[in-house]
Amino acid sequence: MSKNEEKKLRKKAAILSAKNGIREGIIDFLKKSMDRNIFDAVLIPMRVPADDSFTYVLIRDKNLLKNAFPLPPVMSIQGGKAVSSITRLGKSNIKIAAVMRPCEIRATIELTKLGQTNLENITLIGIDCPGVLPLSDFLNNPEEGMRLFDDAVSRWDDRIMRPVCQMCDKSSMIVGDLHIGFLDAEKDSFFIISNSQKGSDVIDKLSITPQADISSWQTKVEKISEKKHKKREETFRELKSKIDGLDNLLDTFSQCISCHNCMKVCPVCYCRLCYFDSDKVKHPPEDYLERAKTLGSIRFLPDTLLFQIGRMIHMSLSCVSCGSCEDACPMSIPVAQIFSMVADETQSMFNYVSGRNLEEPLPLTTYKEDELHEMEDTHG
Amino acid sequence: MEKDKEDFMPKILAFLCNWCSYAGADLAGTSRIKYPPSVLPIRVMCSSRVDPLFVIKAYLSGADGVLIAGCHPGDCHYEKGNYYARRRFVMLKKIIEEIGLEPERLRLSWISASEGNRYAKTVTEFTEKIKKIGENSTKNRIFL
Amino acid sequence: MVKALKINKDSEQAVIDLLKLLLEDNRIKGVLTLKKINKKGDVAYTLITRPDELDDAVPFYPLMPINAGKLLSRFTLKGKTREPIIAVVKPCELRGFIELVKRNQGNLENLFFISSTCGGVYPIKMAVDGVVKNNLSRYWDAVKKNENAADLRPACKGCEEFIPYTADMTVDLIGKNDLDKQCVILLNTKNGEQLVRNIKLGEFIEGELDKEKLDKLRVKREKEKKKIFDEINAKINGIDGLIDIFGRCIGCHGCMRVCPICYCKLCEFESPDSEYTPSNYELELKKRGGLRVPPGILYYQLGRLTHVSISCVGCGSCEDVCPVNIPLTSIFKKVGESVQELFNYIPGRNLEEDIPLITFEKEEFAEIEE
Ligand code: SF4
Ligand code: SF4
Ligand code: SF4
Ligand code: FES
Repeated sequence: MSKNEEKKLRKKAAILSAKNGIREGIIDFLKKSMDRNIFDAVLIPMRVPADDSFTYVLIRDKNLLKNAFPLPPVMSIQGGKAVSSITRLGKSNIKIAAVMRPCEIRATIELTKLGQTNLENITLIGIDCPGVLPLSDFLNNPEEGMRLFDDAVSRWDDRIMRPVCQMCDKSSMIVGDLHIGFLDAEKDSFFIISNSQKGSDVIDKLSITPQADISSWQTKVEKISEKKHKKREETFRELKSKIDGLDNLLDTFSQCISCHNCMKVCPVCYCRLCYFDSDKVKHPPEDYLERAKTLGSIRFLPDTLLFQIGRMIHMSLSCVSCGSCEDACPMSIPVAQIFSMVADETQSMFNYVSGRNLEEPLPLTTYKEDELHEMEDTHG
Repeated sequence: MEKDKEDFMPKILAFLCNWCSYAGADLAGTSRIKYPPSVLPIRVMCSSRVDPLFVIKAYLSGADGVLIAGCHPGDCHYEKGNYYARRRFVMLKKIIEEIGLEPERLRLSWISASEGNRYAKTVTEFTEKIKKIGENSTKNRIFL
Repeated sequence: MVKALKINKDSEQAVIDLLKLLLEDNRIKGVLTLKKINKKGDVAYTLITRPDELDDAVPFYPLMPINAGKLLSRFTLKGKTREPIIAVVKPCELRGFIELVKRNQGNLENLFFISSTCGGVYPIKMAVDGVVKNNLSRYWDAVKKNENAADLRPACKGCEEFIPYTADMTVDLIGKNDLDKQCVILLNTKNGEQLVRNIKLGEFIEGELDKEKLDKLRVKREKEKKKIFDEINAKINGIDGLIDIFGRCIGCHGCMRVCPICYCKLCEFESPDSEYTPSNYELELKKRGGLRVPPGILYYQLGRLTHVSISCVGCGSCEDVCPVNIPLTSIFKKVGESVQELFNYIPGRNLEEDIPLITFEKEEFAEIEE
């Protein structure tokens, strides 16, 4: 798609009613789309029966839609993982709308580039994201968490959200086939805008005419992103001073118990058997002893940092700063903040933003003959 | 609901060992012995081939009953398979019981190749029992 | 009565001194024990070969960052250690290792074990803000008084297996009023006795654990355990009870990864066998109208129960690691004990006892056949 066409698709948005709130409005839109057979099923978060968390559900029975939660207060499952679970082994035979936050859509796009999802028959629908609460905060008191979250969203206030969310400057990034915007809208409406042919087809079939101008939304988004970007720089400055140098880095990960939860929940860490769980990291006793003898003692298991840095090498170019790893860390290590910081640096070297665009190749799968000369002979 | 119970025909997954119970089932069929059409037979080489996970999977998928049948103790084609199967079954049943699910939906029986009658009787009994317990509601759950 | 080594020093210090001597004398070549690894005072298992590195060791620190049975398996997975190593571990860690050895995931040769009567440990999440550090004096007070310290993990509060089965040496800690002045190390095995023979530390006496005293603690712990199991039983209530308990599981599989009994390189539940094809999804959708994605939370939990309950040592690691605080150990231990009881099996009690599922008796469980 040419740049111009892209612009055109994006220019005007369709306004939809949200008289009973945004949630109802979105559900209504999805229901209508299912009624008209635009989608056979919807992938969307739902509250679990115990009411203490949320999870993705693939809904085929329209009656279940009323329990959907397009914007849950936590991200207990990364949406990219959900799409991959459905389509990793082949394209879906039914048409599915996946309603997710922007970082989840970006993860989905990265996973597609990595061959872990098949987007045929999947329509990605993104939403303006107010952030989510730290999973453990929410679990401590789900009811209170729900209340606090709703309240914060109504003021678009991110101070109780996860650190990665507070500094996310892509929280309204239009990356899916469709995007739902509501941070600017009057209370009783929201807009939907297409970002691809697939998206435009949906709008056409619903016979809603995209007429609305979204420039005021854009201005607002820019303002918010700018603010969050400042916060990002601030956070990274602080973080850098905390983890700078080997000793600080070791201290930061000193409580890591090698459970590898971070790897397991990371949407872009897709390997079935992680290198760091494989035979490659299992050695004969002599090896461990030799290493201990040269230093007097070694932490056992050794190589906590090798895992962390290794994981960075494997996936920082695709990290979408979603925060899942930090949520899953039982030892409260700020993994996502650190990975996000490193990701910014590695991605910017290639002028790459993970998940921004399906057409952009993964930086390590391509090259230009004339590039990165500044990295040559760096010792000189 | 009550009405449903009346004409409810359970779906029973039956793992039948190749050398005895499957042949027993076959005999029941060729001898035209009557038994309820509730069983979906799966032939396995030995009762010990039945991984407890098969049973869990069946239960979560909504099977109303699971029958594991093999040769009588001492008669296993592989000598010891059914002894191991029995221990696994005892364990599995205990686990199911301990986590508050329904152990009554599981059954282990020894049926030899010549026991067509016994096969029919087992299926009839088990079907009746499950009719009393009712449907396995797991098949409606979405949060599994 | 067995041979014992009595050292007139704080028990933890005495053990450190003993380990130092053993290293200096070249009787052993390495020590696996908990140690402070930085200025903040964070504690982790460490493989120590130089005596002075033992200065910061804290062998009886009330924390189990990783089940040491799992660590020893990693250490000897590729073969026995040629040089003698001694490990200071908690009773359930030792039992975990024995279960792993039965599964060919470790090798006991040239390994020595020091364990103790165990007062339990705190949740690892308490180590995050250094809370464990601040609790140490309260912890040791409770141990001296033969009581459960407050805020221990549920797994420990209700643990009756606090006396090691197969350790070469057992340090008497529970209910020992003068444990900060005197250390008694029981030498349970010939190996243990030989290892410390003529060591220039303390004096050799005859000793034994005070069974009566320990029984008192056991009674308390039994009560706690009953309370914990009752609570779980009330929550487990058919399929919906299970969905309520496990519904918030995020599928990180941390519980499997830290479990000493879960040794598979590639877990069944992470294998292609557990994945859904698009048509699997379609089928399920037809049946149920909707399906959790990724699916299989209960399949995983129940499946893991069938894999580990026969050998679960109730070490608490799974519950410790769970980022969404599912009471995993309480469930796995409850189910585990009831399964183990069927076969009169205590995992890790004795290397010679076969895992019940790989053996049988011809005449047994006749009542199970219908
Ligand atoms: S490393 Fe962490 S923040 Fe980055 S994509 Fe993975 S889970 Fe998300
Ligand atoms: S550790 Fe907790 S969240 Fe992770 S898989 Fe186990 S039960 Fe689920
Ligand atoms: S299931 Fe949990 S308590 Fe049991 S051995 Fe494994 S980690 Fe320990
Ligand atoms: S062959 Fe029939 S039970 Fe083993």
